[in-house]
Amino acid sequence: MRRLLLALAFLLLIASTLIGLTRGQIDPLQRNILYVHVPNSVCALLCFVVVLVTSVGYLATGKQTWDLAATAAAEAGFVFATILNATGMIFSRAEWNVWWTPSPRLVTSAILWFLYAVYLILRVSLPGAQRRAARLCAVFGIVAFLDVPLVYISARFIPDIHRPNFSFDSTWQTAALMLGMAGTILLAAGLIWLRTSLLRDTLKLEQELLR
Amino acid sequence: MWLGLRAILIKDIVVELRARQALPTMVVLGMLIVFILRIASESAAAGGGAPVMGAAALWIAFLFSGLLAQERSFAAEQHNGCMDGLLLAPLDAGTIYLAKLLANIILLTIFEAVVVPLVLIAFHLHVAGWGRLVTVLLLGNLGISSVGTLFSAAVQLTRTRGALLSIVVLVLLMPMMIPASFALLVLFGALPERMVGSGSFAFVGSFPAAVAYMLAFDAVFTVASWLLFGVVVEE
Repeated sequence: MRRLLLALAFLLLIASTLIGLTRGQIDPLQRNILYVHVPNSVCALLCFVVVLVTSVGYLATGKQTWDLAATAAAEAGFVFATILNATGMIFSRAEWNVWWTPSPRLVTSAILWFLYAVYLILRVSLPGAQRRAARLCAVFGIVAFLDVPLVYISARFIPDIHRPNFSFDSTWQTAALMLGMAGTILLAAGLIWLRTSLLRDTLKLEQELLR
Repeated sequence: MWLGLRAILIKDIVVELRARQALPTMVVLGMLIVFILRIASESAAAGGGAPVMGAAALWIAFLFSGLLAQERSFAAEQHNGCMDGLLLAPLDAGTIYLAKLLANIILLTIFEAVVVPLVLIAFHLHVAGWGRLVTVLLLGNLGISSVGTLFSAAVQLTRTRGALLSIVVLVLLMPMMIPASFALLVLFGALPERMVGSGSFAFVGSFPAAVAYMLAFDAVFTVASWLLFGVVVEE
């Protein structure tokens, strides 16, 4: 089932890339990066929603699976946020001739990356009982999610150069983006699933070894 | 001597590479400081000069001094099982939080009374409206203290306590720093009271909007921290 999910994601991403490179090419060249950039930014935000839901789930039930899923979602989210910022910077350099500049979208994306980075550092830094560390990370996950809308509102105090909407000339371009979107979302789901069960197996193995 | 030097050097590097505690915290803390300074000096595209430097210096001083106050606020409870005693007392965890929060706010207010005049003198700044300046500073104070007090309790048992607290607090406070420096820039006369852009530079910023934003930020984080504090300290 997991393999099927990941294989499907892979196929969709290949299809998106092929269409994007042929019929769906956007002019000028650097704008083609949006086929990677946009799906990754959507997934970076979606992973945050997963972190929130699993964190609340952990605090409500105390079941370890919720905590492991929150870790997995944060790790996946960190990867997506890194790709989001990296592709954004490459595009920015080609389009506006600067690697980074304080504009609302750029600032909010950077803060998103920082929130994930701090979450993951908190994960490895908290010592002692597993349950206490899990609770603290859940609290940070919830508080960090409260921060996200505040980040978006605060951005209106900064002038903007980011282009929020992109109009497409052809259905091929829309198709490439939609396939990429579907593929990346499936990839995110598959990664979180895979990582959660991997973390669960690791814990089980550690407990066996201790016994 | 060389043998000993080599052994200790390799041990230290290997420990850090395996545990990965100090380095990521260091790197993220450094990036956050650069990022906050960049944003604080750019809010609403004000020109350079004394007001921009003054506003940035003021918020950075508040953030780091606030962190010092918050870090010790639960460190004192670690000895002789004081924290357990507090938790055993017939008190709501939220009450402990509110008391700690108020203590931190008072400390930071006294600090502000000393440092704000210093910044005003050092950067030759003229303030348009002292009442409004006090309002902005107190709102900033509450935001910094509310987040800091909650996570101070959380990081007490970690090895990289202070550094960990700073990255957690700095990243969560980042959105508040944008309108906060905007408001100070208006008060220092670097920006007009109300800015309305158009075209690709469309942004809306005004002094009342910045104050309203800080109020909303404080409300959200004080209430959330008050509610979640019990979860953090529970054994």
